[in-house]
Amino acid sequence: MNFDKLISGFFIILAMTLNFGFFYGDLSDINLHSKYELFAAIVINLIATTLKIGDKTQIGSVLLATSLVADIQLIAAATVWTIVYYTAGSLDVHVTSIIISLSGGALLANITSVILYLGETLKSKR
Amino acid sequence: MKNSSLWLLLQKMRVPFIVIVVTYTIAIAGLISLDGVMVDGKIYRMTIFDAFYFVTYTATTIGFGETPYAFSYPQRMWVSALLYITVIGCWFYGIGTLISILQDKLFISEIKKTTFRKKVRKIREDFFIILGYNNVTKKIVGKMLAQGFRVVVIEKNPERVNELILENYVSSVPVLEADIYDPKALELAGIKSKYCKGLVSLFENDNLNLKIAITAKILNSKIPLAIKSTTKHMTENLEDLGVEIIENPFEIISQQIQMLLTTPSLYKLTRWLHGMGDLRATTFHLPKGKYIICGYGRMGHEIKNVLEENNIDAVFIEMDATKKNTFSKKEQGEILFKDADDKDILLQAGVQDAVAIIAGSKDDTTNLSLLSIARKINPKIVTIGRENEIENQALFNYSNINYVFMPSRLLIYKTIVALIDPIVDRFISHAMEQDEAWAKELLEMLKANVGDNPLTFELFVDDQHALALTERIKRKESIKLETLTRSRANRDVFNPVVALLLLRKDELYLLPDMSEIILEYGDQILFASHRDAIEDIEYIAENIHELAYVLGEQN
Repeated sequence: MNFDKLISGFFIILAMTLNFGFFYGDLSDINLHSKYELFAAIVINLIATTLKIGDKTQIGSVLLATSLVADIQLIAAATVWTIVYYTAGSLDVHVTSIIISLSGGALLANITSVILYLGETLKSKR
Repeated sequence: MKNSSLWLLLQKMRVPFIVIVVTYTIAIAGLISLDGVMVDGKIYRMTIFDAFYFVTYTATTIGFGETPYAFSYPQRMWVSALLYITVIGCWFYGIGTLISILQDKLFISEIKKTTFRKKVRKIREDFFIILGYNNVTKKIVGKMLAQGFRVVVIEKNPERVNELILENYVSSVPVLEADIYDPKALELAGIKSKYCKGLVSLFENDNLNLKIAITAKILNSKIPLAIKSTTKHMTENLEDLGVEIIENPFEIISQQIQMLLTTPSLYKLTRWLHGMGDLRATTFHLPKGKYIICGYGRMGHEIKNVLEENNIDAVFIEMDATKKNTFSKKEQGEILFKDADDKDILLQAGVQDAVAIIAGSKDDTTNLSLLSIARKINPKIVTIGRENEIENQALFNYSNINYVFMPSRLLIYKTIVALIDPIVDRFISHAMEQDEAWAKELLEMLKANVGDNPLTFELFVDDQHALALTERIKRKESIKLETLTRSRANRDVFNPVVALLLLRKDELYLLPDMSEIILEYGDQILFASHRDAIEDIEYIAENIHELAYVLGEQN
C-alpha cells in the first residue's frame, strides 16, 4: 500500500463527498445548504489540488485541471454569497440558485476527478 | 510538460501549501466557534468571512486591529495562539521553503536549461554546435560568428562557461553547462533543429570524441560532424560511423611537411584556401639532408613516415627516457633517448652536420630551448618548432624560429573551412592529389589574373541562388560557364575569374574549362576572383536583365 496514494485518494474523494453534501437539497432554499459545509469543501478541495500539483504525467495534468475547475467554482460560489450577503443583507432565490448551481458545477468536476483517479488505479492492476 | 523548472517548484511547494491551507482552516474554525460581545453587550459569532478577513491580515502580519468588534477574552486567547501558528508555522515556513528552493542547485540548473532551450529555439539562422570551450574552440566560435553563423556551446566546466559569458560576443552564444556526451544536452543544443549545420568535437580524448560521434549520429544522422582523431584506428572507427569531417592534427602536420618538401606551391594554395595567408607569401623551403626530430610520440611517428617516403635521413630523440620500454626492440635501437641534458643529446644526435631540427614535443619550453641550443651549436641549421599553447605565440614569434607549426591552429582553420565551405574542402582534397607542376601553374595563373589574395565564391545553380539561370536552363537553353564571367559593364570583356571546381551530381570537374562547360541545374561551382567580379556573377545568375545583357540580347 502506498501511503501517498492513500492520502491523495482520501482528499480527492472527501472533496467530492463534501461538495455533494453542500449541493444536495432544494435549489432555491439557502437554509438547506450549510455555509460551513461549503467552507469545508473549499478547504478540502484546495488540499486535494495541492496534492495533485507536480505530477508531470498526462493523467496527472488532467486531474489537476479538474481540481482547479472545482476550486474556481466553489470559490466563486462563496464569493457570490459573501458579496451579496454583505451588500444586500439577505439572499433571494435567484442568488441562492446561482450559488448552488456553481457548487453543482464543481461537483461535476469533482466526479470527473474521482472517475479518472479510479481509472488510473484500476489500470495499475494491483 | 516541458517546463520542468516550474513543476519542480510546485512539487516542492506542496507541503508548505498544505500547511498554509490547514492552519488557515484551524484558525478560521476557532474564530467562528467562539462567542464574542458586541458594543451593546449582546453575544455574537463571527461569520466565516469575518474570520477569513481577520486571519488574512493577521497571518500576513499586517494587523488592522480587532474587527468587527473588540474581542472577548476567549477570542483573544485563541487569536494569540493562532498568531503563532499562522505567522511562524505557515508564512515563515512557506516563504523559507520557497527561498531555499530558489537557491537550490537543481532548480537553478533547470532554469538555466529552460532559458538555454528557449535561446536555441529562437535561432532562425544556420548555427553550429561546439562542444567544449577552450583555446581552440574559442577561435572557432569567433571565426564562425564573424562569418555570420550562430554558435551554441556545451561546456562542463563552470569556470569556462563564465569565461564565455564574459567574452560578450556580438550575437549571443547560448551556452549550457552539462555533460558533453549527454544525449539530452545535445538535444537541448538543437542537434535535431533544421538550422543546425554541424557539430564540432575536438577533445584531446579520442574515446570521448568517439562517444560523442556515436551519440550525435544516433540523434541526427544528417548533421555533419567535425571530430578530432589522433590515431589511425580511431579514424577508421569514425569513418565507419559515417563521420563527415575527421581531423587528425598529427596527420595534418605530416601533410604540411610533405608539401613543404615536395610541393611548395600546393602548400601555398592550401594555406590561402584555409584563410591563413595569401598567395604572395614566400614559402619556407625545407632542405634535403639529415634531420633531427625531437619527440617520438604520435606526431613523431607521422613525421617519420613522411621523411622515409622522401628518403630523408633522420635521427629521432624521445624526450622521455622512462618511456623506453613502451617501444619495440627495433625502435629502441633506432631512437635516442634523452637521458643527459639537452646539449649532450643534441651533440650525440649529430646536430653539427644536420640540416634541420624539428622540435615536436608536447612542451613548449622544451621545444624553444632545444631549438636555441641547436642553433648555438650549428648556426646554419633550419629550425622548426611545434607550438602547443596559443598563449605562447609571442614567445615563438620572437624566437627566430624558421618555421613554427601549431597543430591546434591548423585544426581550427581546417575545421572551419570543412564546415562552412565544404566545396573548398573538397577542392583542397582533390588538389592534394595533384603534383607540383599543376599547383605551380594554378598558382601563377591566379596571381597573374586575379591577384595575390583572391576571394573564393561558391555559386549554387538552383532557384534560390540563381533564378535567372535556372529559368533558361529549364527552357533547355544552353548557357556556357564563361557567360557568368563577363563584365556587367561591358559584355565583351571577361572578368578575371578562375573556376576552381564544378560539382555536378556524381561528377567532379577540377579546373573546368569555362568556354566548354554548359551549365546544368544543381551545379555547384567554386570560383576564385576579386570582389567586383564575384558581385557580377551573383547579379548575372539572379537577375534576368543582367543575364540577357551579357548574352547579347538586351542593351
